[in-house]
Amino acid sequence: MTTLPLDPLTRKKIHRFRSIKRGYYSAIFLAAAILLSFGAELFVNSRALIVRYEGRFHFPTYGSILPGTTFGLDYRYETKYRELKRKFKAEGRGNWVLLPPAPYNAYENDLTEGIYPPTAPDAGSGHWLGTDSTGRDVLARLVYGFRTAIVFSILLLLCNYTIGVTIGCAMGYFGGKFDLFFQRIIEIWANVPFLYIIIIVASIMIPNFFTLMMIMLFFGWIQMTWYMRTATYKQKSREYVLAARAMGASDPYIIFQHIIPNTISIIVTFMPFSISSGVVVLTSLDYLGFGLPAPTPSWGELLRQGTSNLDALWIVSSVVVSMILLLTMVTFVGEAVREAFDPKKHTVYE
Amino acid sequence: MSGNLLEVKAVRMHFPIHGGVLFRRIATVYAVDGVSFNVKPGETVGVVGESGCGKSTLGKTILRLYDPTGGEVLFEGKDLAKMGRRELREVRKDIQIIFQDPYESLNQTHTVGRIIQEPFVIHGVGTKEWRREEAKKLLKRVGLPESAFDRFPHEFSGGQRQRIGIARSIALKPKLVICDEPVSALDVSIQSQVLNLLLDLQREMGMAYIFIAHDLAVVKHVSDRIAVMYLGKIVEFAAAEDLYKAPRHPYTQALISAIPVPDPTRDLSTKQVLEGDVPSPRNPPSGCSFRTRCRFATERCAKEEPTLADAPNASKGHLVACHYADRLDEALKERAKT
Repeated sequence: MTTLPLDPLTRKKIHRFRSIKRGYYSAIFLAAAILLSFGAELFVNSRALIVRYEGRFHFPTYGSILPGTTFGLDYRYETKYRELKRKFKAEGRGNWVLLPPAPYNAYENDLTEGIYPPTAPDAGSGHWLGTDSTGRDVLARLVYGFRTAIVFSILLLLCNYTIGVTIGCAMGYFGGKFDLFFQRIIEIWANVPFLYIIIIVASIMIPNFFTLMMIMLFFGWIQMTWYMRTATYKQKSREYVLAARAMGASDPYIIFQHIIPNTISIIVTFMPFSISSGVVVLTSLDYLGFGLPAPTPSWGELLRQGTSNLDALWIVSSVVVSMILLLTMVTFVGEAVREAFDPKKHTVYE
Repeated sequence: MSGNLLEVKAVRMHFPIHGGVLFRRIATVYAVDGVSFNVKPGETVGVVGESGCGKSTLGKTILRLYDPTGGEVLFEGKDLAKMGRRELREVRKDIQIIFQDPYESLNQTHTVGRIIQEPFVIHGVGTKEWRREEAKKLLKRVGLPESAFDRFPHEFSGGQRQRIGIARSIALKPKLVICDEPVSALDVSIQSQVLNLLLDLQREMGMAYIFIAHDLAVVKHVSDRIAVMYLGKIVEFAAAEDLYKAPRHPYTQALISAIPVPDPTRDLSTKQVLEGDVPSPRNPPSGCSFRTRCRFATERCAKEEPTLADAPNASKGHLVACHYADRLDEALKERAKT
């Protein structure tokens, strides 16, 4: 037995998911985009991919900075590879520099005397989507902003679901006073206005990636709890759970071996929607200025720049198009998953 | 009384109904209300009764899937109802249950092999290889091919699934198996196969069965002794032969007369038809719980609750709970007077 045997129901669900084309292809595309974004330094970066200097190869992309002196320049700070490329070209001594397709990082301001940013898209300079109002490359900020947002959403989702599933499962499984108590707690909790809290916190301290996640986690676990509670209640009263209890199984055994595997479809169904809501929340907070601190590349911040510089249409259009693409695709995936996991589609009444 | 594998003494299982703003107890369902009987090693005790009479609840209470409201369940002399977690876990190796619905009682996400090995895993019996081998033997024993091991319950028919359930319950060689309507959900043609499998296994392994069913013909086929339940109480308890030949309780009589007999010349006038519905177990009638539907009921029946006692002029061990067990004619006369 080399492969994990999947039960026919799960196989059927996966098969149906794959047969819903737009969801399936969106899932592949998104997965590829997320994976590629982890290697974004290879595509969008001010550091060169490969430098050949005096017969030796250098790979500056990852690792510590290489000072200009490495390549016979007269400064000790990080090499400016774009300049280096021009210099090597002019010298024509067999040294060369291979730059990434978009040779800018998300933080540097590419300013030229006499030209005021934002500058329009221009293939010659490597600014494929132009620059923003401080001369930073829009594409770079878009790519790194995507990475931040998606990592944020996935981490938030994992934390939310861990807490939500645990508490929801416990509520459903143990029921009684425990359930009642937590229901009331959650009702009170859910009524705390989330945005106010963020705004208050953001006005006291500048939130970073983790504090922002903690705040969102504080309120985000609630939704899953309700669904898990109901699902657990339903599974718990089924006879296979009684059978396990009759065999002398412990509560954790029943929860992990029996109940969770049977409620996993609920968890999976909500995942894509949670990811898209994570991205939306982070973007809107950044847009309002309560999100990640200033130089961090983010879509919300780009959106704000775009809407206040409407004459520089490339900013607002690139971020809006990316946003629409991402959210549509996530929704397609979510829709396909929901369709594939719909119990009405494969319940057999005999 | 020693020599009993299981002794159930005055077991009560009442379910509270909560309601209102403060979730106070507003009513109680008397699902099982003072049931006593015993099971000897290796015998089959049938429990019959119509739907909702508490027979399944009784089975689950014996297993302590429910905590009984009162009474004692003595298994080999030890009270299950008072056992701690650890002790109970040990005892559960010896008592097993087979459920009615083989679609519900098997986890659909597990392979058949995993389902059958589960009792070993839970109790930490044997090595991995041993468990696999043993599970395969069990599969063969209940008449399924070894190839079923890696398949899912989903892929089997009702009868086959019930066999999987049976294999799981006998895995640990229990001393007592509670069969909770094990064949009610199956086709008639499959029923006898599964029943014969159960009987064969009993002969081989010497387990005792508590056989819960609503089909009198099925119960008669498998049981040594039979308890008839009505509204949470046992109204008659006797050896199978005696019960069918000479039922003493009016309810049992009505049930037995309702068994279809393939004989067109049978005198249908002796057939008794019960009228009305079973009263709600939330609000059982005073006195004898059957009196609302009993054609012999008198005033005494409404006032006094009959106890389960030796029936007069019957063979030993024939217990019945009726004031007029042997003199139903008298009851009729008394009834005519008023």
